[in-house]
Amino acid sequence: MLWYKAWLETRARFLISLCGMTSLGTWYAYNELHDASKFARAEWYFRVLHTGHTLLATMWVAAVLILMMGGLLRERDLGTAPFTLALPVSRGRLMRTRILVGILESSALAIVPWTALFVTVNRFGSPPVIPQALFHLLLLAGGGVVFFATAFLVSSSVEGEYTAPAVSIGLLFVCVFASDDRAFRDYNPFNFILGTEYLDRASQLLIGPAPWAHVFANILVSALLTALAIQSIQKKDF
Amino acid sequence: MTGPAIQTKDLCKSYGRVDAVREMNLSVGAHRITGFLGRNGAGKSTTIKMLLGMIRPTSGEGRVLNCRIGNPSESIHLRRHTAFVAEDKRLYPYMSVAEIIRFTSSFYPDWRTGAQESLLRKFELPPARRVGSLSKGMRTKLALLLALARQPDLLILDEPSEGLDPTGVEQLLEILVAHCSEGTSIFFSSHQIEEVERIADQVCIVEHGRVLLDASMDDIRQYSRQIELGFPFDAAGLNFDFAGVRRVRTAGRQMTLLTSGNADEIIDRARGYGASSIETSPLRLRQLFLSMVQENSDALV
Repeated sequence: MLWYKAWLETRARFLISLCGMTSLGTWYAYNELHDASKFARAEWYFRVLHTGHTLLATMWVAAVLILMMGGLLRERDLGTAPFTLALPVSRGRLMRTRILVGILESSALAIVPWTALFVTVNRFGSPPVIPQALFHLLLLAGGGVVFFATAFLVSSSVEGEYTAPAVSIGLLFVCVFASDDRAFRDYNPFNFILGTEYLDRASQLLIGPAPWAHVFANILVSALLTALAIQSIQKKDF
Repeated sequence: MTGPAIQTKDLCKSYGRVDAVREMNLSVGAHRITGFLGRNGAGKSTTIKMLLGMIRPTSGEGRVLNCRIGNPSESIHLRRHTAFVAEDKRLYPYMSVAEIIRFTSSFYPDWRTGAQESLLRKFELPPARRVGSLSKGMRTKLALLLALARQPDLLILDEPSEGLDPTGVEQLLEILVAHCSEGTSIFFSSHQIEEVERIADQVCIVEHGRVLLDASMDDIRQYSRQIELGFPFDAAGLNFDFAGVRRVRTAGRQMTLLTSGNADEIIDRARGYGASSIETSPLRLRQLFLSMVQENSDALV
């Protein structure tokens, strides 16, 4: 039943994000293509697709940062931590459940709005874009995992009901505003998600081999951040 | 279960330079009701949270139901067999009463659906209502239901009657006595000393993180006395330095002693001094508590 508790805690945030992202992504594609589809060329469709990806990716990162807020530190602020910690389950299991529910919700937030975007673009005459769709999703998953783990770490180590979300959103702003910074560009997970490094300006397609090494490096960093978060909660007094 | 339900040895918890609990040595008997008394900030809630693994002790050790409190897997085992009601009684506001009952019951094999239904009716809790919209009294009743609808080996309650009306308090005390008679050990902290006096078999009084008294209510009733002495002369300077004398108050020719033992020896000495009147009465737990806390504060000053 821990998953049910985690779902109830995040349900409102998740559904609002899902509806907002899906409708905004669909509306954007419709708005860009419903008049232009009669004379649009392939690169116009791909440009809409990539810009839509940028729009949804920014919203996805913000949604995940908000979605992953919560957990035992927030419960301590709300006064429910003694009830939770008196249950016959380990803190590790409580955290694993949060991570699992968070992964499922984040995946849904990635798949549903992107599918809506791709379907809309296809309905207006775009050529088949399945490989491009998968490339975009790989970039989102490979970079998004860092934001997911960062939000989890912040929620597990920063105290105060509003401080943790403020810190998380602050980190996102740093990444967004530093996206053009040369020294930071290669390590910025937000740049990785946007895929500017792989975008061919002429065709508006993502090109090149899939960046698996970068994805695995991000996964390793995320695993480290998650381990730190679990350690932090294990040591805390409630 | 053999041995004490709770046992601690030199249990300490410090927050920086502040000692919340100092060398706490507790022994809570099995199948008994033990009252845990102390002023605000005496260390009661910190001790309870250490017993349940929510706070890590700075030093010392403890066992609950023969499980080491510092061992994570043993802590899970002890929590499976212990029901707990926290001081704040805060529960998940986003769940309904029925949902939180279903949620909680899924963790405990000893959950009793019959008891749950009976308590729902007795406490008049509306199953469909959101927990967040319940009054404090209703929330307290719900927290009690979640603990009492089971057959745990140990029941730990932190201020269980806080927020309850007199009828609710009466129902609670009856339920606790019934649970104890079924074999559950009960350890509860309270500021309502009369409640403790009514149902407890054992009493622990703590102050400044230390146990001041650990005695059975039978012993307290049998040996604790208030002795009023009248003398034909000024009583100041008379010596009643016996073990157990908690407090001596002198006002001219009158002297009042509060003692938890040696009442007969005190009376003999008073007669030896030529006391003109001697009256003894049983010492109520409230008087004993106040005298001990005051005595401890005086000693610290």
